[in-house]
Amino acid sequence: MSILLAAAASTLVFCAPGYPGAAGDAQPFVDEFAKAAVAAAGWPAGSLSAVYDPTEQGGLAKLGGADAVLAFVPYPFYVEHAAQLHLAPIAQADVVGVGTKEKWSLVSKTGRVTGGPSLAGYTIVSVAGYSPNFVLHSALSAWQVPAGVKVEPVGQILSALRRVASGDQVAALLDQTQSAALPTLPFASDLKVVVQSPEVPVAIIAVVDNRLPAARAKSFQAGLLKLGKGAGEADKLASLKLAGFVMPALPADAPKAPTSK
Amino acid sequence: MRFRATANVTAAAAVSLVMTGCASTQRLPPSTPTPVVRTPADSGTLDQYVATIKANSDRSDHESDGKVRADLAAQSSSMADDCLALNPQAAACQYGKAVATGMEARAHPTQALGLLKSMLQNLDAAEAADPNYDKAGPSRVRALVLIRAPGWPLGPGDTDAGLASARKAVSLQPDYPPNALALAEALSKTGDAKGAHDGYQHALDLAQAAPSGPERDDWIHEAQDGLAKK
Repeated sequence: MSILLAAAASTLVFCAPGYPGAAGDAQPFVDEFAKAAVAAAGWPAGSLSAVYDPTEQGGLAKLGGADAVLAFVPYPFYVEHAAQLHLAPIAQADVVGVGTKEKWSLVSKTGRVTGGPSLAGYTIVSVAGYSPNFVLHSALSAWQVPAGVKVEPVGQILSALRRVASGDQVAALLDQTQSAALPTLPFASDLKVVVQSPEVPVAIIAVVDNRLPAARAKSFQAGLLKLGKGAGEADKLASLKLAGFVMPALPADAPKAPTSK
Repeated sequence: MRFRATANVTAAAAVSLVMTGCASTQRLPPSTPTPVVRTPADSGTLDQYVATIKANSDRSDHESDGKVRADLAAQSSSMADDCLALNPQAAACQYGKAVATGMEARAHPTQALGLLKSMLQNLDAAEAADPNYDKAGPSRVRALVLIRAPGWPLGPGDTDAGLASARKAVSLQPDYPPNALALAEALSKTGDAKGAHDGYQHALDLAQAAPSGPERDDWIHEAQDGLAKK
């Protein structure tokens, strides 16, 4: 009985700061995902609930709850909070139109930024701006970024790009979807991709603070890896724009996973 | 008329993968579905068509049953098409089509992005025909779509353009509370917290000066919600 109660109290927390959407609107889709994942893992129906929070602080609060056993977060969130939350990746998402990994691109006004030192005095804005560690050390690992460069989160990347194009001391770090769409902007000729990140995961599912026993984590991982494969499986993930999951393959500079219990 | 722009779209990264909405969806008790009554195309004037579409939109806002919302949207869209067949240039018909398309977007979230783009085209046409229609409705609704819809590259949202549209609505019909509310929301979305606060206070003053009724209550409530935001 206690096992059942514990299972019923398990929650998968989705958190995607910087991306559009309200928790209420997303709830049916994360519910659907949890149901499919539980079935694939062979867990009892209803043994995992899911919740979505679009804000960093809201997501952190939910992940701090004892019931939060799993996190589904963008890689920048993982970089910023893996150590604090003791996140242990068990899978990385294969996102439709993106893949399992992506490169982030730093965009500046054409001719303005030529290397790390030329960023002095600049502000880097990004949907991942809530994660300075990701922006400065993962995405821009190829450059020595001067101290004092500010990193700011931005929800309205189009407005930010207008500022970049107009010559403000602003550079924008874009995800793969955004950078691929750059040519569609009427002021695209004023913008230039000046450096790209190494390939990094798009999003991670991780066990939170060892709250999931190793055997259950393994069965859930096995279930995730099966999702999206086989007849009719793709439909289960379509609403989340997911193609499936693969084993985590994190960059060498990624935060290290905690030791399992 | 009160209009809620809604769009479910796909976000870009895996946790952005969640199909999400851009509307401040009202949580209301379920209402009892009532049969949809359709005005025959050959007997309705343009105003009758649009009045029915607006009534459907208001009812849809308060409707929790997705099937009923979808039926209302389909009926409204069909009526808007009939209206446009009678007079494709009429602001009323273009505006009605935009409102109906917004309802379709809410009812069919996976098609929302395309529907929202179509909606913006209808609003542009309505504005070109009569910018003061429904108390600057084309500019006001356009503003709400642009500030609430997901932005580039995922959707048509553009807060800068939304702010410009809201300013235009206010310049055309400054005393209409929904225009002031749209401007306050646009200022909030573009990061002007003080301007937004002042805007919500102004909207509240306008709403409190308006005649009593459910719309006035909604305006006051929305303004108070805006003022309560930090």
